[in-house]
Amino acid sequence: MLVALAIWVGNTTRVVAQEEDPRPELMKAFEMENAGKYKEAALLFRAAVRAKATPDAVLGLERVYAELGISDSLLAPLDSIIAQQPREVVYRTVQLRTLQILRRDDKLRDAFERWVRAMPKDPAPYREYARILIQFGRPSTADSIVSRGRIALGSLHDLEYENAQLRAAMGEWIPSAQSWRRALVDAPHLAIAAAYALAPSPPASREVIRATLASPPAQAGARRALAELELTWGRPQEAWDALRALAPDTAAATMWEEFGDRAYGEERWSIARDALVAAVRVRRTSQLALRAATASLRAGTPQVVFTLVPLAEFAADSARAAREYLPLHVTAMALLGRARDADALISRYDRFTTPAQRMRLAQLVANAWVRAGDISRARDALRAAGPDADSSEAAGWLALYEGRLGTARVLLKQSREPSPDLAMAMGIVARTRGDSAPLLGAAFLALSRGDSGAAATQFVDAAVRHPEVASALLLVGARLNAARGVDATPLWQRIVAEFAATPEAVESELEWARALRKKGDAAGAATHLEHLILSAPQSALLPQARRELELARGAVPSS
Amino acid sequence: MSSLSHLRRALLLFLLLVAPRVPAHGQRLLIPMDDGQTNHLKAYGLTYNAMKTGVQAEWLLNYRGGSFLLPDAPEIRRRAALDGISTEPVSDAQLASLRREMSTGNMESVPLEKAPRIAVYTPAEASPWDDAVTLALKYSGIEFTPIYDEQVENGDLSRYDWIHLHHEDFTGQFNKFHLGYRDAPWFRDLVAKNAASAKKLGFSSVPALKKDVAEKIRAFVERGGFLFAMCGATETLELAIAGQTVDIAGEFADGSPMDPDADARMQWKRTPAFRDAHLEHSPFVNSMSDIDGHQVNVPGRRQPLGTFTLFNFSAKFDPVPSMLVQNHRSVLNDFFGVTTSFTKATLKPGDIVLATEEGAPWVKYIHGDYGKGTWTYLGGHDPEDPQHAIGNPPTDLSLHKSSPGYRLILNNVLFPAAKKKPLKT
Repeated sequence: MLVALAIWVGNTTRVVAQEEDPRPELMKAFEMENAGKYKEAALLFRAAVRAKATPDAVLGLERVYAELGISDSLLAPLDSIIAQQPREVVYRTVQLRTLQILRRDDKLRDAFERWVRAMPKDPAPYREYARILIQFGRPSTADSIVSRGRIALGSLHDLEYENAQLRAAMGEWIPSAQSWRRALVDAPHLAIAAAYALAPSPPASREVIRATLASPPAQAGARRALAELELTWGRPQEAWDALRALAPDTAAATMWEEFGDRAYGEERWSIARDALVAAVRVRRTSQLALRAATASLRAGTPQVVFTLVPLAEFAADSARAAREYLPLHVTAMALLGRARDADALISRYDRFTTPAQRMRLAQLVANAWVRAGDISRARDALRAAGPDADSSEAAGWLALYEGRLGTARVLLKQSREPSPDLAMAMGIVARTRGDSAPLLGAAFLALSRGDSGAAATQFVDAAVRHPEVASALLLVGARLNAARGVDATPLWQRIVAEFAATPEAVESELEWARALRKKGDAAGAATHLEHLILSAPQSALLPQARRELELARGAVPSS
Repeated sequence: MSSLSHLRRALLLFLLLVAPRVPAHGQRLLIPMDDGQTNHLKAYGLTYNAMKTGVQAEWLLNYRGGSFLLPDAPEIRRRAALDGISTEPVSDAQLASLRREMSTGNMESVPLEKAPRIAVYTPAEASPWDDAVTLALKYSGIEFTPIYDEQVENGDLSRYDWIHLHHEDFTGQFNKFHLGYRDAPWFRDLVAKNAASAKKLGFSSVPALKKDVAEKIRAFVERGGFLFAMCGATETLELAIAGQTVDIAGEFADGSPMDPDADARMQWKRTPAFRDAHLEHSPFVNSMSDIDGHQVNVPGRRQPLGTFTLFNFSAKFDPVPSMLVQNHRSVLNDFFGVTTSFTKATLKPGDIVLATEEGAPWVKYIHGDYGKGTWTYLGGHDPEDPQHAIGNPPTDLSLHKSSPGYRLILNNVLFPAAKKKPLKT
């Protein structure tokens, strides 16, 4: 209840602040109130009300009296103000609120009835009284008021929002969704309120809520509410599906752009791509197109880049084309394995790029050749970028793919841009004996080409050839399998059994336990976690293992 | 066979027979409870579960935050390692030195003999995350049995040594939540279930049922049981006991208004902790009486949270209160509950105040004897969620492994295990 009061007070403060009132005593009262001097503010507000009752003065008096715990002192002045201005909604609302705060239920009801008598065909008394009742946790009474309002006014049209709120408060989720659907037609800005009200609905009601909000015609408010609900319920793709059905206009484009940016920030690339591309089609700007193209690349659909950010757009400004669009085009070509085209494109814009840019683009072309399976051309592409190419990180990766570990060790170690891939590669390369490891190189090459199935098999095969680093290679194989839904248990089992003293045994057992817990085998998970904790008491993974053990035992809430 | 091989066999036999009985590092394991402990809460579970297996433990009052001493057994070490509990092996010589140190200061060793049988008064369908005590018991790995009205009415209390009550309203008015939640589905469900239970057990109303349950809990303590209550259960249990023959429930709860002379007719002689409290007669004011100092749900009366300080007792002469305040902190942040604190004016003269807020007219944590048993009351709902409100997410104790507030709860769980010593005074 206190929270509700605080929110309401905050809102009214903002409303008052937006209005201009030249009355100096009122301005002074606001100053005192903002400084927390409620007694002084109360005197000034009271004087202002006596001189001339205005909504901002009465609202101010209401706020400071509430702070001072003397809200009952407001009732007498309100009676005389209302007698003079019986049709002013603000005074009537303040009266209802005050009586509710003071828990004078009978007088509250009387005040409402007087208001209805004064304005019998106005929805305001029903609306305000119902809202207060809902806010203070009395939806049943609110329900009877809304029903009376419906009869008195001839329809629910002006009370749809209140009806939707109170149905949700009473746990009547489907009628609430239906009411929200109607309310949102005229008031799409209430979409967030609708989502907030319907979010706690139980899973059994949700399909009907979805169908209600998604019913044709697709309208912005209802679709936005549905999208927010789907996000809250952990279904981002369905959230986008709710929005994508809107007719393409500027309002929809704004919604799509906001949604796309949110997905972009959360690294949900395919959803971000779809939403931003949809927005671009309605309201294209180069910045929006750039974000859409970047999302497309990260979502694994590079071909979209060529139409989203065509180089022809900057035909008259090649420097800008090179700066903004060229890297996206080269990356897209590299991902598509079109190394030759990428090379040609870089040459076309050669004079508009700096040496540093050229090196980055050359690495992309080299990657394209790698994806195409041609390491030799990849090396040529790097060399073409300049004299430093042979000592670059990219050259280190090429050496690794060819199994030239000695060179790979030296060059990868010099990298200034740490990444998870580099850390994994360095962890293996540093522990592998000898300077040549073609099997291992082939495994990394398969991984680089995006063939994770072949890579997993090759890492496991390489483990036989390189026993000194076998546990790490098997763990990479296990992770690749787990990521593509293949059972990694045999590999985890092998690592734990055959390489018990290695750090990978601890990681394997933790990942194994997590997988078991996800499958609902808490006892199996606990057995592994206990083994892990007791067998590796110095491991840095112990806090994670203990946390998992507590979750498996049900000793802490799982949320 | 050579004599050397005979010797080897004899040595092997000796090792097989004797070695397992010799602890690897020391004769005892010290479980420190000062800042050297990495998981204070689980240390209680370790000690409790060791006792359950028949092991005798010692509680070293005021020694390094109220440490525990356990035998150095492989299973205890194993459990400590799994739960991340710090332990220190102690040899006989080190133990002798430790005892010498304890004998010179305000410290005492209390033997812990038998793990108490624990019951928590809570509906069967309640989640363990609803209640700070069940949260603490679950986290520390201490088993408990949930019991509710039906079990209490059936006489099941006699099966347990220790019972915990949390935010139950023993006046049967559902903590007056009807003021804010009368139409909320969870509240309607709560009312319906309690009404059905009252009817099934032969009572005319929920207040009548709860009063009878309160009376049975009173009798349980009188017969020698240990009672630990928190939050609203502290205040309402006492009101229900004192108001056994008075209508102290509002009309919304039992269909008849509260007795206008209820204050005068309360029998405070029957209650363990409080006296001369004034009931809140208005059904529209979310308060039960003036026992609670903070009145969190009454706008205009609500008092802000401060800190409370644990008293330091003589471990040798007052071992029970000493046990209840063992901690690695002496000043703790306060936390709200339906009942947050206890006004000094309503305390009985014999109450032992365990913690108080300096300069405030209320205390936080109290204890006393009642018949052959004891009671302990701690105000507030959740020590790690000071502003707890209905619907808040549950507290995850793995994030509060060393919570001083939760230690107070667990002190209460262990103290019934203490072997009674003859009084030295």
